[in-house]
Amino acid sequence: MHTLGPRFEQFLAVVEPDRGGQVVACEAITGGYSRISARARVRWRGGEEETFILRGDPPPGSGVFVSDRDAEWELLAALPAATSVATPAARWYDKSGQYLGSKAIVMDCATAVSLQDEMARAGDAGPLADLFVDTFAAVHGTPLGALPARVPHPPDWPGYLDEVLDRYDRMGREYPSSAPVLRYVSSWARAHRPPPTPLALVHGDCQPSNVLVSAAGPPLVIDWEFAHIGDPREDLGYYTQIPLQPNVYWADPERFLARYRAATRLTEEQVNPQVVDYFLIIGMAALLEQLLAAAAAIGSAERPGILAPYLINAISHQHDMFLAICDRLS
Amino acid sequence: MITRPTTDVLIGDCCRELIEAILPGLTDETLKLRLVMAETVLRNAAVRAAHEIAWMREETAELLAFAEQVAARYDSEPLRVALAAGPVQADPAQAGRAQAGRAQAGRAQAGSAGSLHLADVAEHYGRAGQAFTAALAAAQEAGAADLVARARDLLRNRIATEQQVMASYQVVGR
Repeated sequence: MHTLGPRFEQFLAVVEPDRGGQVVACEAITGGYSRISARARVRWRGGEEETFILRGDPPPGSGVFVSDRDAEWELLAALPAATSVATPAARWYDKSGQYLGSKAIVMDCATAVSLQDEMARAGDAGPLADLFVDTFAAVHGTPLGALPARVPHPPDWPGYLDEVLDRYDRMGREYPSSAPVLRYVSSWARAHRPPPTPLALVHGDCQPSNVLVSAAGPPLVIDWEFAHIGDPREDLGYYTQIPLQPNVYWADPERFLARYRAATRLTEEQVNPQVVDYFLIIGMAALLEQLLAAAAAIGSAERPGILAPYLINAISHQHDMFLAICDRLS
Repeated sequence: MITRPTTDVLIGDCCRELIEAILPGLTDETLKLRLVMAETVLRNAAVRAAHEIAWMREETAELLAFAEQVAARYDSEPLRVALAAGPVQADPAQAGRAQAGRAQAGRAQAGSAGSLHLADVAEHYGRAGQAFTAALAAAQEAGAADLVARARDLLRNRIATEQQVMASYQVVGR
């Protein structure tokens, strides 16, 4: 990290050659399991200061969660025009990693706090829960035609669901330790399809920690690396397993879902606690695949780092959740 | 071989060293987080070290028994193939005896006397899992509700074992 400040300064000299940017502070941000993040304060020649977030790939072979930085940059660049949801301004991109050591996106550092922290401090988290629901309903309302062509557009809802369930079958073949559970769950899920909804922009890591709030402006949604076009209820299902407290879904599921239905005009048949349960299975497919791949790499030459063995427990936890869902909804 | 302290106790002692002696001396937040994760992995490994061979052998027997029950009722090529793969034996003499035993029984026998080396037990367990998965697929395709329910019970047992390993797991670093 101590070399990142000077490297960022060199990068600024390339992307803002006339402004004489000087990095006066640079520190790692802990937390998060996927990207390496740092906060850097820059003083420009005129004396004004700005703070940025640098968000880069971990060194090859040292992470668990893999995502495409080029795609994330394109999406971040397109979102301001595509959606009513606000995001921190994406300023520059070290596309090759030549300056910052790995592909890295530089964004404005918002003067805001995590919605999760605000909820934890609030005596009544209800209004913040509403804000959270409304924010993700707005994400889901993003017109798909405005998204970059690089974002895969599934042909239709049945085809998309089949794709996800086929993915579970593939995981079962590639990672035999999980095959018995995945076979059971995917077969069950094929037989219990919920009513369809229109496909939507799915954030992929829907939780209040990824919403920044301040009195000065609208909520800002961050961490779009797993965004994709899919079923919007994946985000709801995914959020149900987030362990950070308070979890405002579990605080009052009916209130949470009524608010979501009102914001999205989806019906109670389409959005109810059972359907959300189902979409936990669908919404976790991509991350589970990455967890299994990382676990399989432990002990190999491409050691994925301590996060991989640590998250084996998350695989067990998902097995447990999935089977419980099958039991509850059967 | 020095049997006391056992492996799980040794690992537990290392965990205490990491948390009580080393963690307080760290100032780098990222390193602290990595150490806490490593300690969790070691604590889980201690639980596994104490029980995993027994757990795998017990479950292997159950998985193969289920696979054989399905095979007796339904003709499934993938299941036949999976069962024919049979248990793994590291020692050639043992392998020969096991092979003779299998030939006599007509298919793989659960819990046959074999190597207790961890890699062999894990390999045998993996093959039993494949046979179980093939059997489950056959039962599901045939609509055999009783067999699918039995499979579900076995999976629930498997997950209960996984939960014993992760008993003290807490999410850190998020």
